[in-house]
Amino acid sequence: MTNSKVCVLGAGSTKYGKLDESVIEIALNAAKDAIDSAGITPKDIQAGYISNVFGVADKQVHMAPVIMSNLGISHVPGLTIESACGSGSVMFREAFANVAAGFYDCLLALGVEKVTHTGTVRSTTLFSYCSDFFYEGGNGASFPGLFASMARAYMNTHKATEEDLANVAVKNHENGFLNPKAHMRKKITIDEVLKSPVVASPLKLLDCCPFSDGASATILCSEEFAKNSGRPYMEVIGSGRGASPAAVQGREDITTIPSTVAAARQAYKMAGVTPKDIDFAEVHDCFTIAEIIDIEDLGFFPKGKAVHAVRDGATRLKGEIPINPSGGLKSKGHPIGATGVGQVVEVFDQFTGKAGERTIPNAEIALTHNFGATGASAAVHIFRKVDRK
Amino acid sequence: MMEELSEKEKTREKFIEAANRKKILAHRCNKCGHLMLETVLFCEKCSASKFEHVELEGSGTVVTYTIQAVAPEGFEDAGSYAWVVFKVDNQQLRGSGFLPGVKTPSDLPIGMKVRVAGYDPKHGLILQK
Ligand SMILES: [Zn+2]
Repeated sequence: MTNSKVCVLGAGSTKYGKLDESVIEIALNAAKDAIDSAGITPKDIQAGYISNVFGVADKQVHMAPVIMSNLGISHVPGLTIESACGSGSVMFREAFANVAAGFYDCLLALGVEKVTHTGTVRSTTLFSYCSDFFYEGGNGASFPGLFASMARAYMNTHKATEEDLANVAVKNHENGFLNPKAHMRKKITIDEVLKSPVVASPLKLLDCCPFSDGASATILCSEEFAKNSGRPYMEVIGSGRGASPAAVQGREDITTIPSTVAAARQAYKMAGVTPKDIDFAEVHDCFTIAEIIDIEDLGFFPKGKAVHAVRDGATRLKGEIPINPSGGLKSKGHPIGATGVGQVVEVFDQFTGKAGERTIPNAEIALTHNFGATGASAAVHIFRKVDRK
Repeated sequence: MMEELSEKEKTREKFIEAANRKKILAHRCNKCGHLMLETVLFCEKCSASKFEHVELEGSGTVVTYTIQAVAPEGFEDAGSYAWVVFKVDNQQLRGSGFLPGVKTPSDLPIGMKVRVAGYDPKHGLILQK
């Protein structure tokens, strides 16, 4: 057992949206894509890391052994991890740490969610259980409501407007329109966002990501395993975790998310890079306000300035720092257990020539950022493209 | 383990009982004086676990809020209401609660005074203006 650099050798996703298959079938479809993409077979997989939140809604918890069994490798140990909407990245971090420590040379890191069949009202209630329920859900706050309270605080502090938030939605739908696997593949206008029904003021329906089903999977391996494969891969050069008070009321400043700041600091330090070195980022835009706060907390823009940068096009596909080329949670969709892994899949697709019309030319270093609930837990990862030529 | 669990449940019960008397129950750390909500079991500053129970006046100012146009399950019959984060008067402590009868942002400017009115098993910590 020796410490190793950790690489991503394969990645795959189902389409995100309203899916008919069972949660296990959805997971297996993504697993198969990732296995094919890595050029391995299931017998190469030494462990399975699975992220999921609401398995109980499709009558399946203890998901890892079921997935392993259906991949024909029932002897391979698995682990299922829950960390609300941040489950995917938090799980990815644990998978990363186990390869880095030398416990495994090759493993499957897969996130999956199926929730749309429960309906909007039930889904909203299930999501509210991810809050600090005694203080938040139990006092009438829905998830959009919690982010709406952050939006109001941000707008009040930095003199931002509802139109500033709408710019984020328009940009992410522009990107998602180019993503065949996106849930909401439709361009929208500022006017449509502003006129969409209010969910929790100041947030409107088109400020919110959809409830989605879907799965995303990656094959993580040691550097030696990746080199021996002779295939394209990327290296995980930075990994950070952070935490915030579980309830919004516990935060001295409601316009920043402490877990993001901490996770980013660790990841940048490990990678030996700064925000200026990042060519593009996939960030947690569950609501438009979240992306504004994220890109400030990640160090891309000073506090209070992100809204101007978004308005000026800096975060668009051809801007100085493209944010959410996949369409983000907003347009690509948010199958919560899968979301953090799906971000890694986008980076892999970008680095390996599979991103089609949304390809960011010459990108070599990218960042993923994903958090749970209102940012109570977060993880940030930084990836470097490895040139095989 | 069972004892710890029931102790934790009791902190919520005590918090609710105080809210019904329009007070906010807090813990003041015996070692460093830091003030926390009743439900926190170790000091956030020094990790000590001996506290003095402090009953604060249930009054404060609005830090931020939302008006829930789409209400979650259990709140469908609550009419137009706000979920409010407020700063407790004369303390650094913040709480959050349910404020009925708020229809538009002009009903509730940031900085407005709110008071704890009680605790409803269905709607949680009830606030009033
Ligand atoms: Zn103390």
